[in-house]
Amino acid sequence: MIVKLYEKQLESKKEFDLILITDQVREAVADSGVKDGLCAVITQHTTTGIMVNEGLPDVEKDIEILLEKLVPHDDPYVHTRMLPSYGTCSGNSPGHLKSLLAGNHCLFPVIDGKLVLGHAQDIYFAEFDGLLRRKYYIHIMGE
Amino acid sequence: MVIDIHAHPVLFDVINPDDETLSFRKKQLGVYKSGRVPLDFALRLMDDAGIDKTLILGEDYSADSLRPLVSNDEIKTVLDAAPGRFIGFAGADPRKEDAKDELERAFSKLGLSGLYLNLSRLRMFPDDERLLPLMKLCEDSGKPVIFNAGYSWMPDTPAKYSEPVRFEDIACAFPRLRICLSHLGWPWHMQTVMMLMKYPNVYTDTSLVYMGTPTAWYSQIFTKEMDIGWLQNSFADKVMFGSDLPRWRQVRAMKGLRDLPIRKDVLERLLGRNAEEFLGWRERDDR
Repeated sequence: MIVKLYEKQLESKKEFDLILITDQVREAVADSGVKDGLCAVITQHTTTGIMVNEGLPDVEKDIEILLEKLVPHDDPYVHTRMLPSYGTCSGNSPGHLKSLLAGNHCLFPVIDGKLVLGHAQDIYFAEFDGLLRRKYYIHIMGE
Repeated sequence: MVIDIHAHPVLFDVINPDDETLSFRKKQLGVYKSGRVPLDFALRLMDDAGIDKTLILGEDYSADSLRPLVSNDEIKTVLDAAPGRFIGFAGADPRKEDAKDELERAFSKLGLSGLYLNLSRLRMFPDDERLLPLMKLCEDSGKPVIFNAGYSWMPDTPAKYSEPVRFEDIACAFPRLRICLSHLGWPWHMQTVMMLMKYPNVYTDTSLVYMGTPTAWYSQIFTKEMDIGWLQNSFADKVMFGSDLPRWRQVRAMKGLRDLPIRKDVLERLLGRNAEEFLGWRERDDR
């Protein structure tokens, strides 16, 4: 059994930012030496998500519009207070809730040493609280 | 020009070469879980918010903490690392005998633009005579002073030392000295309003979002506790945008001001022109 963990970094450019990471995941799978197994892509944060969808700008815009409708910026959120443990204000409740909707990880099969994706599928690191420097894991397990 | 008049550079990587230094600063300012911020990323955040310049505050409490929270030389380090993007204010601990000498050095040798004092942290009332040489030096040098006023997030900072009305003696004794009573002096913001109205040399800043979102908070302060006409018509030339970075992300603090129902000319004053006048870069129309 081979287990490989890759930590990747990126920088989001705006508050809502869908960043394609499909190529990075493919490269990690190729590097891992795993022929048959599973690949997990996991974010390290609580105001981001990992999503799969079709890599088209209009789809991305529809996702943004839907999430904004579901989680409006100016709702009276509870998570709007001074946080003594941070020494800062919590002004990012929409990011936390969008993260909940997106989920923090996705799983993919690895067959014959390659990442298996549907023909229209791309993998996104979804930023909901940018711009920030972010990290995510690619965890590959198999033989 | 858009200026953020109130920022603490405690997390910038260029002045935190080791974890011990960073940890000292985080504990002193009370930003415990926050991490080191690369300077190039801080600049990107300024660009994202549309901020041309950010004023960074030196802080010196070394009479009891062995080293300045952010020394004047460290402020100069940040200025040199990003030319034109930051305005540096000096710190000087008035409890130390060499405070005036250090401030003179900060102005003449380092080129810093003013003085920052948190009297709550220093446990000194504004009428403390140890402040007088520093005030005189600033007035004679044409350098403004930013005081913490009202509430301070910093640990170990009793608010009674920073009640806005207590700064009246300084405003009277040094009429050519421009002073900023930061945070609108919250929760004594009505005292600050009086000071703004009464003294041409008194300013304030908007680094006062302590609850809720900036949009909701500024609306509460400027449109519910005051009539919006107070800000627009009576002291539009005295209020400066301040984020209190790293307490608030600059772009979010600014959005709160942009959401206020105010005229465009007033917003422009808040976001930059008033700061230019406070800093002495532009003449103020006192009519």
